[in-house]
Amino acid sequence: MPKNESLIDKKVKAYIENLFSGVGENQQLYDLKEELATNMKEKAQDYKARGMDEEQAFKEAAISMGDLSGLVDDMRRLGQNTARLAVNTTMTARISTAGIIAGVLLVLFGAFTVAMLYYMGMDAVSTTGTGIFIVAGGAIITYSVLTRETRRKYAMNRIRAAFYGLACGILLFSIFTAVITRFATGEMFIAIGSLMVFSLVGVGLLLFLLLTGAGRRKREK
Amino acid sequence: MDTTISNDLIRGHTTTIILNVLSQGDNYGYGIYKRIIELSGNQYELKEATLYTAFRRLEGEGLIVSYWGDETQGGRRKYYRITDSGKELYEQSKRDWDFAKSVLDKLIKGGFDHAKE
Repeated sequence: MPKNESLIDKKVKAYIENLFSGVGENQQLYDLKEELATNMKEKAQDYKARGMDEEQAFKEAAISMGDLSGLVDDMRRLGQNTARLAVNTTMTARISTAGIIAGVLLVLFGAFTVAMLYYMGMDAVSTTGTGIFIVAGGAIITYSVLTRETRRKYAMNRIRAAFYGLACGILLFSIFTAVITRFATGEMFIAIGSLMVFSLVGVGLLLFLLLTGAGRRKREK
Repeated sequence: MDTTISNDLIRGHTTTIILNVLSQGDNYGYGIYKRIIELSGNQYELKEATLYTAFRRLEGEGLIVSYWGDETQGGRRKYYRITDSGKELYEQSKRDWDFAKSVLDKLIKGGFDHAKE
């Protein structure tokens, strides 16, 4: 760009930056600033071509823009909204990420301790007892995955996701209690009995949730 | 430039004026500004502040759409194009204007001679 244009360019840029100073940056503001700058530079160049010096050309262009405060207010409002939305989204996403990590670690911890105790030659009840970590981990993973927003699906409502987590937890717990009562009592029928009680509750809850759910699939644009 | 038309009179027609310019071809902010001055025979200047506010509103209402030009010198221009619903509104506004003009003419200039007819 020729050197004689740079004064106007600089002044226009500074003028527009100053106009929107303190307004939260977002794509729309960025675009508007570029649009205004391009047009204002062109206008100042036209004034200059009519014989004004650069300083005067810039001033005339700035004056003839008119009162831009309405536009600034618009952008300020928009900036606040997008900022709030972004904070909200990242908070939910962070909780979900933390939940998935914690859940996976719990499941792994449970699995490893079961294996460890088994090879330590501990009795069957103590060995399977640490499986409770797998139950807790499974419930947390279910909740965290469902509250996560993906490219194709919106995040599930937190209360609903908590119920899904509970249902999953109860089902895992039913298997857990069945195994543990089998080893504790040595009787298979008691194990099946406890499996039945908890799995009925879990399956009931899960079916209710599955059949009442609203679609979370995002519409194709 | 002296504004020779009162702002009150023209304010309600900003949308129609912009749609008129865009119905003659895609254009960008400063280009539209210049075209309006030209159309008025240097009798009227629509402030750019008003223009940009109107662009945002019209785009929100789906009457116009925007796209970036591919200029490399001096920054990209943002062009506007009228949509089908924009064209419809423009045609409707023209009819409304013709009607309003005829009635206003009677109201402002009409006298007893007119009433007798």
